[in-house]
Amino acid sequence: MLTPEMLKGHLDAIVLAALEAGPAHGYAIIETIKQRSAGTFDLPEGTVYPALHRLEQAGLLSSAWTTPPSGRKRRVYSLTRTGTAALGERRKAWGRFSQAVDTALGPVLGGGRA
Amino acid sequence: MSGAIDDYVAGLRRELDFDPALASRLASEVEDHLRDAAEADPAWPSPEAERRAVERFGLGREIAAQFAIDAVDRQARRTWITLAITVVVTFIAMRLRVIWLDDGAISAPLAFAAPLIDRYAFIAALAVGVIAWFAFRQSLAALAICLGGLVASIGAGLARADLFANGAPIHVLLSASGEIALIGLLSFHVIGLGRRLRRTALLRREAQ
Repeated sequence: MLTPEMLKGHLDAIVLAALEAGPAHGYAIIETIKQRSAGTFDLPEGTVYPALHRLEQAGLLSSAWTTPPSGRKRRVYSLTRTGTAALGERRKAWGRFSQAVDTALGPVLGGGRA
Repeated sequence: MSGAIDDYVAGLRRELDFDPALASRLASEVEDHLRDAAEADPAWPSPEAERRAVERFGLGREIAAQFAIDAVDRQARRTWITLAITVVVTFIAMRLRVIWLDDGAISAPLAFAAPLIDRYAFIAALAVGVIAWFAFRQSLAALAICLGGLVASIGAGLARADLFANGAPIHVLLSASGEIALIGLLSFHVIGLGRRLRRTALLRREAQ
């Protein structure tokens, strides 16, 4: 079973990935995360805001208020160039990490200990 | 009558009182989010839709606790940068005072104590600062000791040189003014860090 605790440390990268397709506001970001994880990451929606703020402070995201013609004023977040590079780095690191965990957790082949 | 969303946003704003600018910005953002979520609920428009949107958002206290942890990190960084600049400026000002200082100008009661306090309080502040940098970066006690040491050193240095009475040159006066301004800024940051640390501890306790 997946718990929110298991996501800690990965949430920032997941938020960066959710913004890769283009700028979005907080509600749209959490909806994208839910859709992309097929509902597995059903986090309390508010948890995304500390991550957005942290990433913006680190210069990986930028944000601005926009008012679409049809609706309310919204703060929209976009990946910065540094954020795009950071996402690439985090993807590579995750690839290495998940491969190592798969190997460590996988069944032992070719018999037991001598 | 206020609804669940208004109540939630007002509560969150209170929890984030350690950073009024953040509280104001986040209140607008969260309200926007909650209204979107409520409007997407099949029961919209109804109080039930608002209540469910608030439930899905999570406890305001837990979200505020996360912001408070980040705020402590940022404030600690600001405080350390100010401390480092204050140490450098204090050292330069000390050297300028020593070069300019006329030993004959030192009044008798200060002649013995002031140079010792000036030098050793600075060295003590520097030593505590270096140890705290490596071991306890968010230690309020260590930062308060550094601040106290620098205040003592600067105070003794200024009394020792009696700058204004003795008509010190402009570069000595400027460096002394810089020291005083930086000590003020450092005190402000240390107090701010203390406030944020206390708020974080309280929010974490309440969120558990």
